[in-house]
Amino acid sequence: MSPEQKVSENTEQRKIQFRNFAAMTGLDEDSMMEAARQNFVKPWDELSASQKRGRLLTGQLLQSFNKNPGNNDEYRVVAWRSLFMPTEITYAMGILPFTTEMFAAQLALSGLAGGRLETAEGSGFSPDLCSFIKTGAGAVLENILPSPDIILTTTHLCDPAAKFASYTAQKYNRPEFVLDVPYGLWSLGNNASDIRKLENAVSYVASQLEDMVEFITRETGLKLDESKLVSVIENTNAARKWLMMGNDLTLYTVPAISLGSKELNYAANLMQTWGTEEIIDVYKSRYEELQAAADSAEGDPTRPRIVWFHLRPYYRNSILEYIEERVDIVQTQVNYVFWDELDVSDPYRAMASKMLFHPGYCPVGIRTQMIIDRMQKGDGIIAFYPKSCRHFHSSARIETEMFKKAGIPMLIIDGDCIDSRGDDFHVMKTRIDRFLKGLQSQARNDDRTISSSGI
Amino acid sequence: MNKPKIGWFCTYTPVEIIEAAGLEPYGVRVNSGKAHEDVYLGDAMCSYVRSCLGGALSGDYDFLDGVVIAHSCECMRRFYDGWMFKQEDIKPDCLHFLDVPRIYTEKSIDFFAAEIERLKEKLEERYGEISPGALSEAVARSAYTSKLLSQLNESRKSDAPFVTGAQIQKLMIQSMTTPRDQFNSELEAILGNKTAVTDHSRKPRIMVYGGPASSSLIDAIEDSGGIVVLEHMCNGLRQIKADVGQDENPCKYLARSYLAKPPCPRMVGEHSIFGMSQIQKMVSEYRVAGIIFFSIKFCANSQAFWPMFKDTLAGDVPVKMLEGDVSPDVNVREVQSFVKKLARRTERHVTGTEG
Repeated sequence: MSPEQKVSENTEQRKIQFRNFAAMTGLDEDSMMEAARQNFVKPWDELSASQKRGRLLTGQLLQSFNKNPGNNDEYRVVAWRSLFMPTEITYAMGILPFTTEMFAAQLALSGLAGGRLETAEGSGFSPDLCSFIKTGAGAVLENILPSPDIILTTTHLCDPAAKFASYTAQKYNRPEFVLDVPYGLWSLGNNASDIRKLENAVSYVASQLEDMVEFITRETGLKLDESKLVSVIENTNAARKWLMMGNDLTLYTVPAISLGSKELNYAANLMQTWGTEEIIDVYKSRYEELQAAADSAEGDPTRPRIVWFHLRPYYRNSILEYIEERVDIVQTQVNYVFWDELDVSDPYRAMASKMLFHPGYCPVGIRTQMIIDRMQKGDGIIAFYPKSCRHFHSSARIETEMFKKAGIPMLIIDGDCIDSRGDDFHVMKTRIDRFLKGLQSQARNDDRTISSSGI
Repeated sequence: MNKPKIGWFCTYTPVEIIEAAGLEPYGVRVNSGKAHEDVYLGDAMCSYVRSCLGGALSGDYDFLDGVVIAHSCECMRRFYDGWMFKQEDIKPDCLHFLDVPRIYTEKSIDFFAAEIERLKEKLEERYGEISPGALSEAVARSAYTSKLLSQLNESRKSDAPFVTGAQIQKLMIQSMTTPRDQFNSELEAILGNKTAVTDHSRKPRIMVYGGPASSSLIDAIEDSGGIVVLEHMCNGLRQIKADVGQDENPCKYLARSYLAKPPCPRMVGEHSIFGMSQIQKMVSEYRVAGIIFFSIKFCANSQAFWPMFKDTLAGDVPVKMLEGDVSPDVNVREVQSFVKKLARRTERHVTGTEG
């Protein structure tokens, strides 16, 4: 299918899809757009950091339906991306990324995920599968997502995401590019064979990224301007710097200055906003807010502190509120800056390295030891691991044993981020209470040292 | 003299390298470990992997000199982590973790070839140099096995296949642990004595699609009145390497022939789509009356592949999804019900009363 035919088909399909999406929320299209416009009235500079983030994401979602609350509606070339696909190339080529997992989280926040989960399960998606994916699948089946122009997928971390991408390519009859990412580079040593493997892996991924650019051009007609790619990567580097500075403040300021539940909403290292100009300002504003809070920090400096692993439950629940009444969540894994500044003179290899060295994509023993080396004495860990996430849930026992040996208390909560059907607050509360009691009895060392990127 | 045995767990492991090193590859079967080991990996992990780690921890593989674990999927990845975490309590060493690409392109072939070369180097460090001649011979002998197995499968296209699915299962299981030359001789003998013992022409012809599964699944299908004509499974078609011609570099040849074989659900992209068209072709060539899609519970690749699988084949052939584990416990009633339904259709077709 030619790019022009795709544009023509998508234009019509997205009208229907936006109508379906609005109807699911109980609104008609005009009411939804009016509500969106109201939210866009306040000047950007007057928004808080989280409001800026919200506006950026809302704007992107509406634009993917060819709607624009701040300007005239226009067609946008949309690339569906799997969660760990970098976004710099798409922005540099004028393409809007769309992440189904993020959409799923948004539906759960609005209490709208349940119906989508049931639709997916009714169509053959196993109840054991990741609920982010199933919610996305339900939304595909109900035709409430904007038709993609292309689909961009990586193979790392999440197996069902890669399979789901193939499913969507078939459903929408749109071309898919799959980027294969080798595993376990963190475990390589300094011998000649390992050095060769590292070089092979980086070259393999970097050359696939270049192939992806060719694929995008072939399928959309859009060409990459290398100078634009440099400027997008500079945006990423600038945003990264502000994010790291903010992370240091949340981790090392005593008493604690931020609500971890609010911090979890940034889920920075998963976001599709890397490379935009706006995200620089989002993280800069976050830093300024945190700095102001640090300057006037009040509270109990002896309160127990924890680091939060994985994501939060997005559906309405009391878990985080209950925990935060008793301890401070001072760092979150999803905001961890794990990558070095991207080298603008060698962008493909820089992006390849970032993907290959994702700490979630390395042997559990190595990943856990890296965390042990960075943890502050006295701090504990709460891991909210969905059972449907094979990747993290299966790490729990090994992590627990290693952290225990290192004297770091850890609580694993078997929950789900999206699916509230198995939620049992009372069972969780019993376990949380017991864990917090143990944590409170631990002595805490306030003699903190500064690292540059948090946990 | 007994050769040291090296365990492997996934059909994407190039056992030819192990053979060329003068070692004996030993495919760890679904029934060789402890079915419900969930202490270290949690209870949301596929039962094959749990069984394998359970077997390692309880000493079931102490006769092995080492193992090679392939990065097939997220469960196998964690299996490697579990093995390394408990290595002090497990006798055989994990000799190598083999990265296996999930796409089939010229670049992924090159990358996998380099990974196979690394495996070769690891084995050489421990067992001595692998000569080019030994490697060529191992590759040739393995290609011959694939050729014989393909001939055997080809013969199953006939109305009255001279082997049943149950017999094929026995052979496939045997192939995982029997020395190559001995197994090739046995295959030659079987192919040289093709006599149909029973007329299966009125039985519904069934394909099984899945991962590693207990042979009791095949038994249940055939005990219910069906005849299994093809196993698109780890203990089936996926043990047959693709015929990809020649390559001067044996590691590259192996990389190509392994990545090109009928794809496991772990594969994505164009090769996965090609795999679906292969299945459609097989349905036609083998005159398959129905497919049982056997998904191991918690195998995310298989579970996430099912919706696409059934949608693609809708209208071509009846497909039944069965979920289970690697234990011999099979939901026999569901199997019987599906086979009976297919038997009625087959009877109508044979007697000309269809429609």
